[in-house]
Amino acid sequence: MPSAAELAWLIPVLPLAGACLVGLGLISFNRTVNRLRKPVALLLISCVGAAAVLSYAVLAEQLAGAGATEVLFNWASAGTFNLQMGFRVDALAAVMLALVTTIAVLVMVYSDGYMAHDKGYVRFFTYLALFSSSMLGLVISPNLLEIYVFWELVGMCSYLLVGFWYDRDGAANAAQKAFVVNRVGDFGLLLGILGLFWATGSFGFEEIGTRLQEAVAGGGLSSGVAVLLCLLVFMGPMAKSAQFPLHVWLPDAMEGPTPISALIHAATMVAAGVFLVARLQPVYEPFAAVQLTIAVVGTITLFLGASIALTQQDLKKGLAYSTVSQLGYMMLAMGCGAPVAGMFHLVTHAFFKAMLFLGSGSVIHAMEEVVGHEPVLAQDMRLMGGLRKFMPVTSTTFLIGCVAIAGIPPLAGFWSKDEILGQAFNSFPLLWGMGFITAGMTAFYMFRLYFLTFEGEFRGNDKAMAAQLLAAAGKGTEEHEEHGHHAEHPHESGWQMAMPLAVLAVPSALVGLLGTPWNSRFAGLLDPEEAAEMAEHFSWGEFLPLAGLSVAVSVAGITVAVLAYALRRLDLATAVAGRFPAVNAFLANKWYLDAINDKLFVQGSRKLARSVLEVDSKVVDGVVNLTGLMTLGSGEGLKYFETGRAQFYALIVFGGVIALVVLFGSLG
Amino acid sequence: MPFPWLSASILFPIGAALLIPFVPDKGDGKQVRWFALGVALVTFLITVGGYLNGYDPAVEGLQLAQHIDWLPQLGLAWSVGADGISMPLILLTSFITALAALAAWPVTFKPKLFYFLLLAMDGGQIAVFAVQDLLLFFLAWELELIPVYLLLAIWGGKKRQYAATKFILYTAGSSLFILLAGLAMAFYGGGTPTFEYTALMAKDFSAQFQLLCYAGLLIAFGVKLPIVPLHTWLPDAHGEATAPVHMLLAGILLKMGGYALLRFNVQLLPDAHAQFAPLLVVLGVVNIIYAALTSFAQRNLKRKIAYSSISHMGFVLIGIGSFSALGTSGAMLQMISHGLIGASLFFLVGATYDRTHTLQLDEMGGVGQKMRKMFALWTVCSLASLALPGMSGFVSELMVFVGFVTSEAYTLSFRVVMAVLAAVGVILTPIYLLSMLREIFFGKENAELASHSNLVDAEPREIYVISCLLVPIIGIGLYPRIMTDSYRASIEALVRRETRAMALVNPTPAAGLIRQASLQAPALTG
Repeated sequence: MPSAAELAWLIPVLPLAGACLVGLGLISFNRTVNRLRKPVALLLISCVGAAAVLSYAVLAEQLAGAGATEVLFNWASAGTFNLQMGFRVDALAAVMLALVTTIAVLVMVYSDGYMAHDKGYVRFFTYLALFSSSMLGLVISPNLLEIYVFWELVGMCSYLLVGFWYDRDGAANAAQKAFVVNRVGDFGLLLGILGLFWATGSFGFEEIGTRLQEAVAGGGLSSGVAVLLCLLVFMGPMAKSAQFPLHVWLPDAMEGPTPISALIHAATMVAAGVFLVARLQPVYEPFAAVQLTIAVVGTITLFLGASIALTQQDLKKGLAYSTVSQLGYMMLAMGCGAPVAGMFHLVTHAFFKAMLFLGSGSVIHAMEEVVGHEPVLAQDMRLMGGLRKFMPVTSTTFLIGCVAIAGIPPLAGFWSKDEILGQAFNSFPLLWGMGFITAGMTAFYMFRLYFLTFEGEFRGNDKAMAAQLLAAAGKGTEEHEEHGHHAEHPHESGWQMAMPLAVLAVPSALVGLLGTPWNSRFAGLLDPEEAAEMAEHFSWGEFLPLAGLSVAVSVAGITVAVLAYALRRLDLATAVAGRFPAVNAFLANKWYLDAINDKLFVQGSRKLARSVLEVDSKVVDGVVNLTGLMTLGSGEGLKYFETGRAQFYALIVFGGVIALVVLFGSLG
Repeated sequence: MPFPWLSASILFPIGAALLIPFVPDKGDGKQVRWFALGVALVTFLITVGGYLNGYDPAVEGLQLAQHIDWLPQLGLAWSVGADGISMPLILLTSFITALAALAAWPVTFKPKLFYFLLLAMDGGQIAVFAVQDLLLFFLAWELELIPVYLLLAIWGGKKRQYAATKFILYTAGSSLFILLAGLAMAFYGGGTPTFEYTALMAKDFSAQFQLLCYAGLLIAFGVKLPIVPLHTWLPDAHGEATAPVHMLLAGILLKMGGYALLRFNVQLLPDAHAQFAPLLVVLGVVNIIYAALTSFAQRNLKRKIAYSSISHMGFVLIGIGSFSALGTSGAMLQMISHGLIGASLFFLVGATYDRTHTLQLDEMGGVGQKMRKMFALWTVCSLASLALPGMSGFVSELMVFVGFVTSEAYTLSFRVVMAVLAAVGVILTPIYLLSMLREIFFGKENAELASHSNLVDAEPREIYVISCLLVPIIGIGLYPRIMTDSYRASIEALVRRETRAMALVNPTPAAGLIRQASLQAPALTG
């Protein structure tokens, strides 16, 4: 009987097989397969479900103390070069496997409800299975190159899913933006991988780490080059995990269906960058400059995300910027040399952010009953409010998520975020300060979202506001009217959507208790030495002041939100936004980064391409056509040599050849 | 005597093509197309038979060889054979031609002539890869131009005459260099002239002679590959060709350039290659970036894909110039991979044009809503073209990258600059391909287009053609050794030969800027 770890290759293969089967069916018997909604959903959910069961078995083995398992085969070879592929299961991979499969199964169940009326239902499930497969392949990759393979594949799935509603221009642009921005990161990642291979002759994480250190210590490689290579590789995680300045694709990616936002753009794929940095700790750790860069990038990102989230009116965009900010926290942890803390936050965040996004999907689904299938209306919080009365499950779970992310003990977010802040306090006090302030902002904007959505009066029937929103988005009201309204007020979603929310609420509340600093089981699994060290060095005297401070700042943030949006005692629009219009505009325009990118890169590259094409058709081809014309002219003159005698031509050719040979005979 | 597989695969389609006038057909091509498809399939089976029965991938030298004196006075012999450099391309040729015959199903204008030319081209192209005699090679190279010219000039688009003339002038003009260089090599050193590759390889050409021949051949093959700035025939020819011809142009014709570079420039003139290789790498990088930018700016779908072909050929050049088994192997794989991917994209362009009757991106939009399967096929093939892992393009480009970066033949700074620039292509390729997809398929349906064209979805024949191309694309992507092992021994022998030559060539001052003597020594003796 092989151990679960030896069968781990089945975990990505099972969903892949299901996806391939349905995909082939879709392309060859489109109508029939499209009608088989429930069977297809059942098949693919069981594929991912089976992968989940296997993943739990792998995790159980790891908890029982099994070591790392690595299986490799020769994938490509030429000359003396052999490239190995395969899979590697260790504690880190096992945690990710269990996390990804759990959330994937829940999101798939949820999607059955959310996508019930969509004509692309089967295609959606196929993409979901394909994504799960790629993501699971990524987490068990044994080397950098294989990570790159799956890295691109999850990017492709993200492209397909963001552009799922391909008749919407917004989705089309967002999908392309997501892919291209990620390719910019992959440009660095690829070069970094190539460079590290050049420097160390290996693609394996530990091997690269030790050999790079040896090369630098031995003087074969300047440390500047080593740092440069590390930072090039870091460009990949920067794009995938939406770190400044490559975060711009993530908020746009919210054009995809909401289950996707939960699975890919909150819980799993965007965390792949953090995961890769954790994998690369042996490489990064010896270089303080690299660590510092990662920490600074993470800090800028966490502040940027939170600051933009303050002013968002679109529920999903607000959550998206919150994701950007939280990913920044994880990167900060990585930069502080605390991968366990970063991974812990990754896990807790995956649960509560997936739940929050699914909750927002539930809200949007309900809003669509009232305002119609127009994302500009259905996602805007100015048309929501008071939804708690209609949607008890959604509002309760959303509130749990808000408390969790705000960092109120004993919910999950408190433990993981506090651990990161504690690490930052010891490593980079200045960055800790930023993270600390941002924690308050986080609490504020999350409760702002909650109050605007679920409390107060329901504003969904405000026609004037709807028309104003449509006009602002550049859409006519008349094309919207034809959808027709179904209901006066929204309803709670069906069990398929409510059940995953309820299930996710449990880990969102409790999973943090696995990582208490005095007895962290999570750290014990990933890095037993560090766990022992943490428990040994733990003292209440050190923990309580810091923890108390972060709880205090969160409570402060919540209080402001309550005053402003629940009790209406504080009018932020005039008190803050009115007094500092520049700041408000700066935030509302997302730090003007999109505008800069558009001007500099999008327009710039178009202009460059157009001028190159101009050169190509005018200059290069112009010379060719000119030569053609000149030949026509010279042909007139040469025609007197045309005697029509074959011997004459043969003579000329022969003479030429003889001349050449003689020439080279004398030269050589 | 064993069965002459290669001669059969050359002569059978040509012989069968001569029978086409006698095939009973009402003039609408409905009978003759079955005949042509059958012949193309049999040719494919013959090449596969040769591969399975007479070809051992582990042997580096010539196999399936056959030698019959033809005109001994001229030194001309019917000499065919295959090694790792030619065998995969022979298989590719017969495979793509069979699919092109299937792709040509809707051709109704002068079908007999069309299929005659198609089959003649099949034999001619296999001959280009299979012959082992320079004079014969030149004949095959020239003969294969005639069908292409006619296929362009008769069945092409509006500017077909211009395109066909440009094509023939470019190629015929450049092949003059092949003739001159070939004759010079044959007569070099006195004695009886010989055109056999093996005999030419044994000759000891002087350095200057090699350089001159190399330069001439580089121009000739650079037109074919094509290398910027010798490429301007290609967008015109590709822009005007019909889908099946297009598949052959992109799938096979371009590979003749890459094949000939390996066969003659690298194998016969290794000393000159040692001098010219850095130039090849630079040209390769120029190809990648220049053509990617022009493709991005193109508004005509066919020309866009045509430029993307040029861009992808840049990797072939870098691989050939890399002085590493991995890089050269990658160049070989890139040729095969692009043969498959290019053919599939051009087939899709044709299929889309049949429905939209326009190639201007501005006149399309939202097509995906009616043509969902077509959209899916386009997406898969575009992703293959932008080198998505799991498909062949990724493996070949990766092999070229890794091979070049780890090559000890160049200084570090040269490698860094070239690799960084080539990697810019990694960003540019998705930009133009995904923009293209967005403009054709995404968004609101273009009402004007929908009103006057019949946007039916992909039919089974079209799905079948693409599936046939996707199976090897994905197969190679998942496990590249199914392909690379078939030519590994020959490529390694070739790289040994070129590295040996490079060790002997004294680095001239010009090359010294790029090559560092200290880096050279350990790698080449080992």
